Amino acid sequence: MRYYFLNQDMKEFSLDVELRSTNVMDFYHEGQRSNIFIRSLAGKKFYSFDGIKWKKLVALGVNEVLVSHSEVYKVYRGFKPSGLNKGGAGALITQMPGKIVKLIKKEGDKVSKGETVLILEAMKMENEIKSGVDGVIKAINVKEGVALEAGFLMVEISENS
Amino acid sequence: MKGKRVLIINRGEIAIRVAKALNELGLVSVGVWTDNETEPPHLEYCQEWVHLSGSNNKETYLNIPKILNLIDDYKIDGVHPGYGFLSENREFSEALAKKGITFIGPNPTAVYKMGAKDISKQVAKEAGVPVVPGSIGEVPSIEEAIKIAEEIGYPILLKAVAGGGGKGMRPCFNEEDIKNHFSAVQREALSSFGYAALLVEKYILNPHHIEVQILADKKGNVYHVFERECSIQRRHQKIIEEAPSPFIGTDEAVRKAICETAVKCAKAVNYDSAGTVEFIMGEDKKFYFLEMNTRIQVEHPITEEITGVDLVANMIKAAFNEPLDFKSQDDIKIHGHAIELRICAEDPITMLPAPGKIVGFETTFPQGIRFDHCIYPKFSITSDFDPMIGKLIAKGLTRDVALRKIRNAVDGLLIDGIKTNIPLHKVILDEENFQKGLYSTNYIGTIRPQDKVPPKENIEAFFLKVAGIEINQFEGKV
Repeated sequence: MRYYFLNQDMKEFSLDVELRSTNVMDFYHEGQRSNIFIRSLAGKKFYSFDGIKWKKLVALGVNEVLVSHSEVYKVYRGFKPSGLNKGGAGALITQMPGKIVKLIKKEGDKVSKGETVLILEAMKMENEIKSGVDGVIKAINVKEGVALEAGFLMVEISENS
Repeated sequence: MKGKRVLIINRGEIAIRVAKALNELGLVSVGVWTDNETEPPHLEYCQEWVHLSGSNNKETYLNIPKILNLIDDYKIDGVHPGYGFLSENREFSEALAKKGITFIGPNPTAVYKMGAKDISKQVAKEAGVPVVPGSIGEVPSIEEAIKIAEEIGYPILLKAVAGGGGKGMRPCFNEEDIKNHFSAVQREALSSFGYAALLVEKYILNPHHIEVQILADKKGNVYHVFERECSIQRRHQKIIEEAPSPFIGTDEAVRKAICETAVKCAKAVNYDSAGTVEFIMGEDKKFYFLEMNTRIQVEHPITEEITGVDLVANMIKAAFNEPLDFKSQDDIKIHGHAIELRICAEDPITMLPAPGKIVGFETTFPQGIRFDHCIYPKFSITSDFDPMIGKLIAKGLTRDVALRKIRNAVDGLLIDGIKTNIPLHKVILDEENFQKGLYSTNYIGTIRPQDKVPPKENIEAFFLKVAGIEINQFEGKV
């Protein structure tokens, strides 16, 4: 599973994690592999780099904001929040925090201007998010049920020329 | 007193602390929740939950008519205001007195005389207590402030008359500063305390902030519960406190003098509750009365730890005219040393509030630790309220032991998802001057521990965060 981290300045980096067994995770970052041992004990989680020295692990949810001392990162599990600042007529970007209720189109589908691409729940209302152009769905960066912050590029559509 | 219904008109860790004391004493703790607190953690400790409608402090925690209505609707016998909000508001305590509701705090006259800094200075002066030179009464205009500043000499401090907790005060080193800051301090005073009046006083260089805890009953007994040193401050707000004061140290004559002076201040206003007399102490150990806080204070736990006196419970007992847990001043003794770290949702380097949502929280503490807090995973810290979310307190036989324990405890305090001042606390605890107890209120400004906060974590820290998410995914807990 690939993880993407994005800081306040929209700089990103990624790392990969693989669950080798129930208590070992392999991490890959810049060509290096490291592994972390994990154990549950008395309702708490513990980690170790060598299987001997153990420390308490803070269990976290998905799509959370993480902090590194004085830097705030948003974390994305399994999908890449690329092109956040790109915009353009073929880019469907969340205007406010919301949750993907349903994806109507899939990658490669043709869409015409005004056609609904997905349904986003925001401010307790379901909103039909429509294509602003005639074109083809180039990329869908979200899954159904995923909660998104404002400014997230959900769908990229390449406009017919 | 048993069975009396007490409304806690506060939130966060202090509401929890008060609720614990009420429950323990057999009273009914009634907590409130407002429209911008969806899951207020303090309610966990309250027996009854009441809705205080509204989504900003003016509509809720500062809204006297609305609170008075709640008191009628829920047949409340007493009110504990905690600290901040209406804890030192004369109008509020008078309104309660008029209705025959017990205010868990001092009588309205004492709130009036000591709650407002302009009058309190005069009262202290009349009682023969040394005060810092400055304006007598409120300063209505910039021109007047400049005039007084010229009389007493710069630097001066602009302070909110109704203020406390470092809000609504700013040092001014020249006329220009006064012109620049006067209206800003007024605005801060109005938004924090509902009262815009300001006063001017001399700003003492390299001072120590030393305060004495007072506990008094309605029979005229006034006790002191020794001193606290709160000199580690940023923007005039305390971040680390300890008791007893390392600056006073073994100088029992000074300790006795400052404690007895505090009792004298309290007696001068017929004080009848828990309160704190704050002093500023120069390098010559001469001390001046600063103000009296007519409320329970944030840093009360360190006093509780070194004396064993439960200040909140005794404050409640005093309000309901019940005998206190001890019989005489001689029953109160210092045993050991305590240090408190205020854990705040703020950037450890800039020390500015950093609201956000806590996504993970774990603790591993040594013996001798107390953690008064309102932290839980998914707790949102909003800019509506103070960024302080907890107080980590260590007690030891000596200052060195307390230091050892608090240093180990802060390593075991894991809060994820928001910026906190934990990295800053670690730097201070490892810093030589702090370890030796050699510091004044200029510590943060001159030693600058914030510059030594490591700027970044290594990649392993990110592995652990990912591991923390994966483990939840794996166990299907999302």
